Amino acid sequence: MATTTASLTLTSTDLFDDSLSISNTSTLYKAGTTIGLDQTTGLTRTYVTATTQFDPFPVVKGATNADENGRVYIANLSEEITEFITVSIGDAVIGRLYAGDFLWMPWSPKLQHVNDLEITPSVATGMHIEFMAIHNYANIYPDSADS
Amino acid sequence: MATTIATISLASSDLTSSALAFSSSNPLNTAGTATGLSLTSGLSRTNFTNDPIQEKVIFRSDDAATNGSNKVYLKNLSTTPAEYFTVFIDQEEMGRLYAGDWAFFPWTATSGVKETFTVTLTLGSGAVEIGDSWEFDGIKTTSTTAVLNTFASEINAQHYPNWTTTVSGAAISFTARRAVEDGVITGDTAITGDVLVDLNGSNLTAPITAGDTNPSTRSESDIIIVPSVTTTMDLEHMLFHE
Repeated sequence: MATTTASLTLTSTDLFDDSLSISNTSTLYKAGTTIGLDQTTGLTRTYVTATTQFDPFPVVKGATNADENGRVYIANLSEEITEFITVSIGDAVIGRLYAGDFLWMPWSPKLQHVNDLEITPSVATGMHIEFMAIHNYANIYPDSADS
Repeated sequence: MATTIATISLASSDLTSSALAFSSSNPLNTAGTATGLSLTSGLSRTNFTNDPIQEKVIFRSDDAATNGSNKVYLKNLSTTPAEYFTVFIDQEEMGRLYAGDWAFFPWTATSGVKETFTVTLTLGSGAVEIGDSWEFDGIKTTSTTAVLNTFASEINAQHYPNWTTTVSGAAISFTARRAVEDGVITGDTAITGDVLVDLNGSNLTAPITAGDTNPSTRSESDIIIVPSVTTTMDLEHMLFHE
């Protein structure tokens, strides 16, 4: 088993009258256990030149992953502050990652296309995007035959 | 403007054959600008203890700017590995936060359309009688005057649990606090649940004079949390928003 930790700090000296300092570290375990997640897609860096929606972690057709568990990291590496990527899941838009923004969220993929994660760049002039899943999914990238 | 910095670090010495170690920091700015987000819900802690299990809406889309650069922070404070919160955005399941897990993600906060309507106090004859009343949303206003517009102002001055109001002459405009699918307008001239008392037979009425052409729709990106057990679980949460 692997030991992977994810840490988040949120700090501000002027958001409140008092300082804000939140710090969290969690170890990434398989669902309901203390066994470390042992699979990863690796950290992918891609350059997109279209506003076409795409799946960063395509789910294999016919696969089910209902009870599996994982964490997802997505970052917009653009340095142009007006450029964003829209992150969606299934039929819902989660939100926009503007230049430099990142997300870290749990993801329990189910059947293909049921709650796939999707990324849509705001411009076609070229944007760098990073993404990675740390998981125990049986049926996602790189064995995908997504359509 | 405020400066708030979010930093994520991921580390592992054995997930892959080479060590994983990276860190990324970014200021939380409003959409498309270098201006820091200055609004926040504050760091909150919510207890879930319900049998049967009950979901809770942690953040409502109405509370943040649609398509803003809003950010949501969640943490499951449980220490029991099997306990988890399922995170939904509207009807869509995002994933499960197990004990100790945290999440930090953007939020588009797509709001629905809030219902609006206008009621205009109208006299068929005579004047308002002191003691005439109009009740709506559980709030009863009793006139202390014979002046129609003053009675309208008294209705406007009330605090309605589900509506905000403005007044212009004898017309009181209502706007729902929350965007929901089914409103109270049942037709061009009727609303559900209002009670008018006209003491002296002056034919005082309170018809809807505007609003029926603006149907409401519900919000479709509220953040909803469902615990996995009926015993106590605590969630920490914070919203940074426009």
